[in-house]
Amino acid sequence: MGTRAASAPVAALESDIRLTLPARPENVAVVRHVLGALAEALDLPPAVTADIRLAVTEACTNVVRHAYGDRAGDIDVVVRPRGRALEVIVADNGRGMGPSPDTSGPGLGLPLMAALADSLEIQGSATAGSRLMMSFLRNRTRPAMGVT
Amino acid sequence: MSESEPPTRVSIAAGPLVGPVLRRVVGMFAARADLPLDRLDDAVLVADVVAARAPAHVAAQTVDVALASSTRSLDLRVGPLRVGGGRALVVDAAVPGVGNVIERLADTLDVEAEGEHEFLRVTLAYAGTD
Repeated sequence: MGTRAASAPVAALESDIRLTLPARPENVAVVRHVLGALAEALDLPPAVTADIRLAVTEACTNVVRHAYGDRAGDIDVVVRPRGRALEVIVADNGRGMGPSPDTSGPGLGLPLMAALADSLEIQGSATAGSRLMMSFLRNRTRPAMGVT
Repeated sequence: MSESEPPTRVSIAAGPLVGPVLRRVVGMFAARADLPLDRLDDAVLVADVVAARAPAHVAAQTVDVALASSTRSLDLRVGPLRVGGGRALVVDAAVPGVGNVIERLADTLDVEAEGEHEFLRVTLAYAGTD
C-alpha cells in the first residue's frame, strides 16, 4: 500500500456517484448510509464494507473538524467502482492538510485511513483544499481492520 | 438542520446504482425532516420512481437530485432534465391500477426551467399533529 502527499491542485471530479454535502457532523452519517447502500448493491464482503465505512468516516470527520474553520463549506465524496477495486475520493475546498490548531500533534486519522485502504493518495494546498483518494480491493485476502 | 442550509446534492451515473443509493439518501433526509413513518415511506417510494424513470429524461448521463429538509418537509429537485423531461418524468410515474405515484404523493410539484434544462421539484410534507 502506498501513501504519498502531492501538491497538485485539486481537480474537478467526475464520478459514478458523487455526494456534495454541507460539512456538518450530521452529514457524515449520510455518507455512511450511501456507502452501506452501495456495498449492498455491489455485494461487497462485510469486512471490506466495514473498512471502507470507517476510513471514509474518518476522512469526512477530518473535513468537518478542520477544513473550514468557522466558515461554511462542502464535503465532496466520489465513489467509483473500478474493476476489482472501489475508489473513494473525499475532497473539500478548505485550508488544506496541515497541523490542526485544536490538537497538540498528529492524530490517528491518516495512519488509520492508510491502514484500512489498499492505497491512499493525498493532494492538497492551502488555497485549493484537500483531496484524499482511497482505493479498496473488493475481495481482499487480508483480514479487515474495521469492525462489522 | 437549519432552514437556510444549502442542499445536499447527489449525482449518480444512470444505471443500477441509482435506486439503491437514492432511496437510502431520501429516506435519511425524510427521517431528518421528522416526517412520520407513512410519509417517510411515501418519500422512499417517490425516490424509487425517480430512480426508475429519470434516466430516460436526464440531460446527461447522470441522475442528479438536490435534497433539502426542514421541519416536517422534504424538498427534492431532480435534474438537469432535457427540455420536456420534467413533465415526461411525471407522466412516466403512472402505475396501472394505482395512478400517478408522484402526483398522488407530492404536496407540491413543479417543473422549473433553467437555461436549456428543466428541473422537477417535488415537496413532501406533513401538516398533521402527532
